[in-house]
Amino acid sequence: MPNQSENGSENALNLFKSYALDGNTFDEMFQGDGRPRGPYQKLLQSILGVQPSELTQRQQAADLTFLNRGITFTVYGEDSTIERIFPYDILPRIISEQEWHTIESGLRQRIHAINLFLRDVYHEGRILQEGKVPFELIYSSQNYQREMRGVRVANDVYTSIVGTDLVRLPSGAFAVLEDNLRVPSGVSYMLANREVMTQVFPGMFGGYGIQPIGHYGQVLLEQLQALSPKGRDATIVLLTPGIFNSAYFEHTFLARVMGIELVEGADMLVHDGFVYMRTTGGLQRVDVIYRRIDDEFIDPLHFHPDSALGVPGLFNAYRAGNVTLANTIGTGIADDKAVYSFVPEMIRYYLGEDPILQNVETYLCMREDECAYVLDNLDKLVVKAVGESGGYGMLIGPHSTRKEQESFREQIKADPRNYIAQPTLSLSRAPCYINGNVVSRHVDLRPFILYGGEKENTVIVPGGLTRVALREGSLVVNSSQGGGSKDTWVLQHS
Amino acid sequence: MKYYTIHHHTRYRYSSEVSESTMEVRMQPRTDRQQRCLNFQLEVWPHAQVLTASDCVQNAIHYFDIPRRHSELLLRAQSLVLVQEGQPLPEGIDSTEWAALEEAAATGVHWDWLSPSEFARPNSLLGDFAEEVEFNRDIDPLSALIRLNDRLHFALEYMPKSTAVDSPIDIALENRRGVCQDFTHIMIALLRRAGIPARYISGYVQQDPQKDEETDLSGASHAWVEAFLPATGWIELDPTNNSRVGDRHIRIAIGRDYADVPPTRGTYKGGSSSELTVGVHISETEDESIPPDLLDNGHWSTREQIEEVSSARLRRDKEQQQQQ
Repeated sequence: MPNQSENGSENALNLFKSYALDGNTFDEMFQGDGRPRGPYQKLLQSILGVQPSELTQRQQAADLTFLNRGITFTVYGEDSTIERIFPYDILPRIISEQEWHTIESGLRQRIHAINLFLRDVYHEGRILQEGKVPFELIYSSQNYQREMRGVRVANDVYTSIVGTDLVRLPSGAFAVLEDNLRVPSGVSYMLANREVMTQVFPGMFGGYGIQPIGHYGQVLLEQLQALSPKGRDATIVLLTPGIFNSAYFEHTFLARVMGIELVEGADMLVHDGFVYMRTTGGLQRVDVIYRRIDDEFIDPLHFHPDSALGVPGLFNAYRAGNVTLANTIGTGIADDKAVYSFVPEMIRYYLGEDPILQNVETYLCMREDECAYVLDNLDKLVVKAVGESGGYGMLIGPHSTRKEQESFREQIKADPRNYIAQPTLSLSRAPCYINGNVVSRHVDLRPFILYGGEKENTVIVPGGLTRVALREGSLVVNSSQGGGSKDTWVLQHS
Repeated sequence: MKYYTIHHHTRYRYSSEVSESTMEVRMQPRTDRQQRCLNFQLEVWPHAQVLTASDCVQNAIHYFDIPRRHSELLLRAQSLVLVQEGQPLPEGIDSTEWAALEEAAATGVHWDWLSPSEFARPNSLLGDFAEEVEFNRDIDPLSALIRLNDRLHFALEYMPKSTAVDSPIDIALENRRGVCQDFTHIMIALLRRAGIPARYISGYVQQDPQKDEETDLSGASHAWVEAFLPATGWIELDPTNNSRVGDRHIRIAIGRDYADVPPTRGTYKGGSSSELTVGVHISETEDESIPPDLLDNGHWSTREQIEEVSSARLRRDKEQQQQQ
């Protein structure tokens, strides 16, 4: 909480009357003694300098902009699906250049090692033979695609488009919570948040020195072009499952930003080993597919036979080297939540380096002793199904009921390979403007990584998507579970 | 040493016109072990460009697509294969082989052949069946294998069309009858359950002319088991015929079970149903009697056209060769 000695009116200070600080949680804005941290000083001045009514007006203006632009996502329920606007908080999350440097170099290292791992597993399998990663874990993964064994992948780039979730521990250090290596989403919200921010606070940007992120689409396009021997002349499409997908807004957004066609499976066909899209001018050859469809739906001939979303015969065209997929098939073995715990080992094994970013401590239920510990501490731990994402299939021990714990106990016993557990983390908290007050809420950070085959040609736009658990005390930031987001600023060197 | 010529004809007839047929074919005999595929041709009508690939266990795949409308799809595969008699099995091996199997399993190399797969997975009936045929670790694994091959043969009645291609083993176990696919899937499931790596071989078998079995033409398509023991390597066993696999079996493809290696797999556009007809003829090549048509009568014209097209293409290829 700001000290009285900071300037500002009584009125403005009232804004912070509900702001909670405690020693067990890292606060992004304030140090333990209530003084603002360096990167936030200027923002605090700005907040204290405006009338609360003005903040409310700007928040409303922002909400309206999101609604008008149709920036929405879909929540899948048991009986119905609901389309919602993505809740947006107007106070930015700020990261210093120094902090960003650590995050950036840590992610470059990590994603490079993961790609080397994927190549190894689908070829020689050295890391498995040497027992550094248990082979059972890989071969039993639902996301292991045996058909990818021995398949040559363009530039050895298995996963080029990645979103890795980071959390900030009470020490202030960033740690990796999970990697999303298949079809990560959220980057459109990162870009939209920045656009809305510049609209709502047009005067604010000059003084802060915020690193730009608007070139993401251009970099993504260049990375996709680099995956084809045709380079800049390659025809690239974005393959979407269609309008009912929760991330459809993002698919349309990215296709527009890159100036490429947005296609569904039925818009394409495979002929004589090549992939074509149907256009008003006839068939047009496709060189690179940025696919936002899961592996099992991409080709009904090879994977899920009932899938109407994919393109029959696509895998044979891919295997023949006639089309490139980004990301490639079978990358999910590396973002399996149990395999996650071996990523630091992968970094040491392939790169001979120490991990720059730490993992969160993880218990594998497939190991008997760790499973016993998990079952004894269900009320304290966070339990996750290894193949799920988006906050589904998860038990947060301290916030769960007896009944939920018992249900998870049965599920874990029935299929231990499918579960891991982690200590309940106290995610860092950042200031949010909610109902006329500035309050602190838990946040995470998903930077978006574009991997080019080496650490050096890997691009991470500065920042990422900061997700907020808008409910007081909640630790769940997933949009499907009542989370929101805020603009994320990485400051320029000052 | 024997040479075989195999003709494998497949016809899909659609109740109304379809388009955009995409198909993947596994019909080319493997070149491995004591077998060489010397020649393989696949012709498709309506004409399509046939491309090749190989899957993750080096089975040959042929694939093609037919974008335009058609109401019939005809595949004619012809192979020439050389098969040699395999090595004789050792007289006996000792029971320490069970421990050797466990060591091999711990390396993960046989993961695919030890884990339950779509059609070869344990169920409630399988445990009882294992007891009934006394498949256990009381004797060495080689003797256990051979005894299982024998007992499975007598425990189930071979009856054509008693199960469908996608039947789980439960049906054959319950009714005590099945086709080669069921014998094979049951044996694979039992072997994996006991820790012996096992896989599905799809192929052809030349009927023994001495045995007066029904000579249904598609009967030449067959499936059997391949099991691994560290002491012997892979051993082929045919539980349907209660035999070891010799020079009358021709291997096409290896899979975890049938789902990995169907002869054809395809998709098409159009709401119609399809009718499948298959004919297989297999002959030792000294024997020149290649049959006129394996499917039924009335397709001479179609056949003629294919031959015309292919021989024209052959001529063109030759001309090009001469020019070079």
